[in-house]
Amino acid sequence: MTMTHPGLPELWGYLVWGFMLVFGLWSLMAGTPHELQRRTLNLEAFCLTRPLVQFFTRSLWPLWLLKLVVVILFLLVIVAGLYGSPIAERNLATVLTWNIWWAGLIVSVFFLGSAWCAVCPWDTLAGWMVRPRLWFARINNSLDLKVPRYLRSVWPALLMFIGLTWLELGVGVTTSPYATALLSLLMVVLATLSMALFRNRAFCRYICPVGRTVGFYSQLAPVELRPIDADVCAACTTLECYNGSDKVDPCPTQLVMGSLTQNTYCTSCGNCVRSCPQQNVSWRLRPPSHEAVADARPHWDEAWFMLGLLALTAFHGLTMMPFWEQWMSAFAQQIGDSGQLLVSFSVGLFISLLLPVLLYALTIFVLRHLNGRQVGFRSLFTGMVFITLPLAFVYHIAHNLNHLVREGVGLVEVFMNPLGSGFAPLSMAEKHQRHFDMLISQDALFVIQGLLMMFGFWLAIKVLRHRGQRLLPQAGWRMLPVLVFIIAVNGFHLWLLMQPMVMRM
Amino acid sequence: MYYPVKKFKNIFYRMTVLTLALLLSANVFAHHVLGRPAYSLNEDSNTPPSMQVETQIGKYFVTYMIFPAFPKPGEKGRINIYASRIDSGDTLASPITFLVRNDGWFVDKTEEVLGTQDVYDGVYRQGFVFKQNGSYIITAKFEADGEPYSIDFPLQIGESTSMLPIGVALGSIVLVLVAVNIVQRKRLMREKIQDTRNDA
Repeated sequence: MTMTHPGLPELWGYLVWGFMLVFGLWSLMAGTPHELQRRTLNLEAFCLTRPLVQFFTRSLWPLWLLKLVVVILFLLVIVAGLYGSPIAERNLATVLTWNIWWAGLIVSVFFLGSAWCAVCPWDTLAGWMVRPRLWFARINNSLDLKVPRYLRSVWPALLMFIGLTWLELGVGVTTSPYATALLSLLMVVLATLSMALFRNRAFCRYICPVGRTVGFYSQLAPVELRPIDADVCAACTTLECYNGSDKVDPCPTQLVMGSLTQNTYCTSCGNCVRSCPQQNVSWRLRPPSHEAVADARPHWDEAWFMLGLLALTAFHGLTMMPFWEQWMSAFAQQIGDSGQLLVSFSVGLFISLLLPVLLYALTIFVLRHLNGRQVGFRSLFTGMVFITLPLAFVYHIAHNLNHLVREGVGLVEVFMNPLGSGFAPLSMAEKHQRHFDMLISQDALFVIQGLLMMFGFWLAIKVLRHRGQRLLPQAGWRMLPVLVFIIAVNGFHLWLLMQPMVMRM
Repeated sequence: MYYPVKKFKNIFYRMTVLTLALLLSANVFAHHVLGRPAYSLNEDSNTPPSMQVETQIGKYFVTYMIFPAFPKPGEKGRINIYASRIDSGDTLASPITFLVRNDGWFVDKTEEVLGTQDVYDGVYRQGFVFKQNGSYIITAKFEADGEPYSIDFPLQIGESTSMLPIGVALGSIVLVLVAVNIVQRKRLMREKIQDTRNDA
């Protein structure tokens, strides 16, 4: 018997729908949006936050220590996965990787941006093997080749993300500790291979599906690493942030702090903070919408990645609905699929990727025609795609909160016995107990999820108004197709959240 | 590991009908994810856990259970198979033949017949005892409506030896690093020779 988590109550459905309709109508009728006011708060300027920020950014060892802890946990995941119990809910590999890390990672972006990338064990282990910094010397085992032009985009990361989703939901890596360990090993091998061939961190920038997902969502994070004084950067000729210094590595993703406008490729490693001779780089707080609304520059490959994120997050939710298996089973019968129904799943994944893209392309097509074809399709396609980012982000968080809050309760148990040796599967009584034993109350969870859906809609409308104003200043009500797209997508996400969700393990 | 045994006709028509049917379908009960092993305790909690795999093939839903979930060499175990028609729920009546082969690396993969069993009380039961640790594949073969069906299921006896993935991962990393080192040395040599030529 499979347990399901209850969905968002109907009341919240009405509330969010009401909010969407009222606010959506307002956005059509409201005049030109006000100029964005860039208000940021340097975290080093306050006595309360200064010691903490300086502790983590000015010295190397706190970060190194954090990396070490994460690497130890990562190695424990591999050992537990390979040698531990195959019962998913009793093994640290599956519980820590899928219930805690994968679910919590997206939630962490909401507060800390791309902080995870700074302690990522794949990159840390690759770095220790390829470019170890030892007490007597710096060893470089990399060929330091230039990344080929055809790889310099986020297409590889998008393909990897689709592949990861296929493995996660289709093959069922999430319910197999052994497969989880294999996947972990594979990622380390890929990161190491990439670092051994290419200069800097090509894997992080172009290939890593987790890094790019975190990077794109970080556009909506309330924190950023930026210059304290832009004039200092403008006058800088040595560019230590980009080139590194004797003691500090260069920016792993080749960013120049003076011209940095978006978080997408920042890995939060803090090299720029430590290498800047003027101490002109710091963490600061900012409104979460600025980057998606104004600062982020549209690119063709990035537009596709954002659409991919939107499609894949919804797909994650869809596959955890009780009716998904019935759909797959019926489809498999029609096409003659059997066993794990991977062909049927792959078709489902493909359709789920295709539908949002087609819907978005149709929206842009209608928008363009309604506005007299003043702007090219490609410009509109890449310019307006930022509306999808908040929609995907808030649904992803709301969905992951279900896993984190409802399925993260067995963590202490698995840490006491990481390999799950001698443990039997969860009994029905234990499953029921876990069902009620949540990290926060169910009502609090519903409030957070409902508010998140409203927040995402508000951000998407803000992006629409500002980006729309810049691309099509006279559009007015002719922005309706995009508004309908936003309402449709958010409405679909809301509907998914309101359905009971199958408990993963 | 699993063999599709299906007819593949009129696919576009069927897909269209199915898509419409899916869009109009109502919520139904959930069950285990098809084709993936699940572990559970039996109703009587004093018994050891069992492994269960649910799958579908052709017109049949097939559930395969192993008792105990983690059998050891020399220990008696049992395979239970439940097979019922997807459309009507009727239980399969024809006998099932169970075969086994070793799924390990560099081993003899000849299939051996474990036995042929008739349905009893809706269940096909096949006992087994393995002498050695290892990964095995159990194949269940039966005929229904004049069509042959064949399904493979994994069976692990004893602890699995898991040095292979770590060995492959470490081996490939070492191989890459050694190759990079050789290329780097060649590069250095070439540069030195070039410098010497330039100086001359």
